[in-house]
Amino acid sequence: MNPNTKYKLDLKLSNPHADAPKHPEPYIANDELIKAVNLAIFLRRPLLLEGEAGCGKTRLASAIAYDLGLPLYRWDIRSDTKAQEGLYRYDAILRLHDVQTKEAAQAGKRNPSDATKYREFGALGKSFLVADRPAVVLIDEIDKADVDFANDLLGVLDEPWTFEVRETQEAPITAKHKPIVIVTTNKEKSNLPAPFLRRCIYYFVEFPKDKLKEIVEIHYQVKKEKAPAANLVDAAIVRFTAIRDAQNLFKPPGTSEFLDWLNALHKFDAQPYSANELAKPEHLIPYRELLFKIRQDWQRYAASQGS
Amino acid sequence: MSEFDLKAIAQDLFNNLRSKDCELGVGELLAAMEAIDGGFGNSLPELEITLRLLWIHSQVEYGQFQLSWENITSRLITESEPKSSQPDRLSQLEQAEDDHRQESFSPPIKQEPETPPQLEALPVRAPRAPFAPVESENISFQTSFPLTRRCMAYAWRSLRFTVADGKQDVLDVAATVDRTAKQGFFLSPVYKRRLVNRAHLLLLIDRKGSMMPFHRFIKDLVDTAQSESKIQKVDVYYFHNVPATSVYRDPYLTEPIAISDVMAGCDSDTKILIVSDAGAARGFRQMERIQSTIKFLFLIKQSTNLIAWLNPMPQERWVGSSAKIVANLLPMLPMDRDGLSLAIDVLQGKFLT
Repeated sequence: MNPNTKYKLDLKLSNPHADAPKHPEPYIANDELIKAVNLAIFLRRPLLLEGEAGCGKTRLASAIAYDLGLPLYRWDIRSDTKAQEGLYRYDAILRLHDVQTKEAAQAGKRNPSDATKYREFGALGKSFLVADRPAVVLIDEIDKADVDFANDLLGVLDEPWTFEVRETQEAPITAKHKPIVIVTTNKEKSNLPAPFLRRCIYYFVEFPKDKLKEIVEIHYQVKKEKAPAANLVDAAIVRFTAIRDAQNLFKPPGTSEFLDWLNALHKFDAQPYSANELAKPEHLIPYRELLFKIRQDWQRYAASQGS
Repeated sequence: MSEFDLKAIAQDLFNNLRSKDCELGVGELLAAMEAIDGGFGNSLPELEITLRLLWIHSQVEYGQFQLSWENITSRLITESEPKSSQPDRLSQLEQAEDDHRQESFSPPIKQEPETPPQLEALPVRAPRAPFAPVESENISFQTSFPLTRRCMAYAWRSLRFTVADGKQDVLDVAATVDRTAKQGFFLSPVYKRRLVNRAHLLLLIDRKGSMMPFHRFIKDLVDTAQSESKIQKVDVYYFHNVPATSVYRDPYLTEPIAISDVMAGCDSDTKILIVSDAGAARGFRQMERIQSTIKFLFLIKQSTNLIAWLNPMPQERWVGSSAKIVANLLPMLPMDRDGLSLAIDVLQGKFLT
């Protein structure tokens, strides 16, 4: 937990939840993003984060969860994910199997007459069950899912915040504390439906161009490792921002690529890469493979440096 | 608290945005009020951020929001501005006006001597190269059309012709129970075949000329049908003005194919969707155009009756043009949200009454 956090929760908690992230998440959020998070917590509406890949959309959720000591449940969306899987899954085949092999199997295993042994809660389902505090649910890359997915989700993320496990015939499960839902998208596949967007708080995460130095500092501080020398960091930032600004890259590198690249400059070889060498704009940058992920980008960069 | 009635501002802005087609509901207004009560908008700048976060969901809407916000707040600020600052503003304004005057007078306007118009040959236009200029066709502005890509993808889903012809891996519970009861013991489950969409869609698309403004829009329609739908077979052919005895395989109208060859691959379950303005864009009513359209329709109706026509021009523009006459021959629908889903109903065999 972070006592100096800027995220506000209307609940006093003394110790972190068992499912809360164990390690602090270095995250520099600007004031507007902090406000967006606080608004999402206050109104309990989903916070929809959009932006290019590698700019820290996903990391925000664990930063919030760590700072406030809340459990974090992550739900990665694939093309065939169904909304119900976020609540629970029920393994009917396993139960059938257990019935069939009841005599053969050793005693003390699952009892097939108990249906609850065969249901497993998903990220949203778990968040509904947390008794003493709200949970943070991260729904990652929602745009990957089928067109109906977001609409199905709306039914759950609204009053009365309840769902039913039909197979086990248990009493409906109602959220004791409404979860804090963070949704990320990069609009790769399709737009989200209007009713879903309407309910969300929307924030466009931009590349934190002016905060790179701060990010590097806190990153190494949290990892408790020795940070690269200040002149190396400065030179790296200058080169990196020049690449982002100047080139018409198909996939511009994001914050995470920058940190990886800096780490390579710092530690990959026995000696850190020379800051003076790096600062020379006519030299090709080392470890290009960490920044350019498409052949075209790579070539365009090489061509622009060569001329 | 601010000296302004923040809730009234929020209400004003809400009405303003709604009148400009931003999709906002009462729930969003109530959420904003709750946020203001909760201390998320104690001053004008704060309120702006709060409302923006809550109500704006794309970069496009953001421009609209800013315009409305400035309109409303500038009115309020001028109303409530204390008198003492008035002279400053006035002098600033005067200054600005002076600058403006100077600017407009400094370069003396040259009066071009009027030359009498001369007769010249019209410049010859080079034929269009059979490839798309990157700048005109690959930019994605998907938001300002009456029909979004998402709507199209959604609409295509109801275009289906399902046949139980897939993998045999769907558990048939009723049959399993039935067989188990008959045998008295359970031996093995009964599986049935998976349903698959065997629909065949033939898209016939008018290109060039009056259809030029819709190229990008219709590209979305083709893309979604081909890659974001579950339709098993999508054939796309292009034509100019009227589908005649041959159509083209490519959008640049360079690879002709005889219509009889196209129809040879169709059967009575093939769904044919024609996309054309049928002369409505320019308001033409040409007899030969109508006649050749009728001839063509007669030809394809020998194969299938599942034919619909999407017209990207709004319905009010059909009147008086050949579109209105063609619309009497087959279901012609405007290319908007309702039009597309009705057209798909027609293709599914539900005839409009």
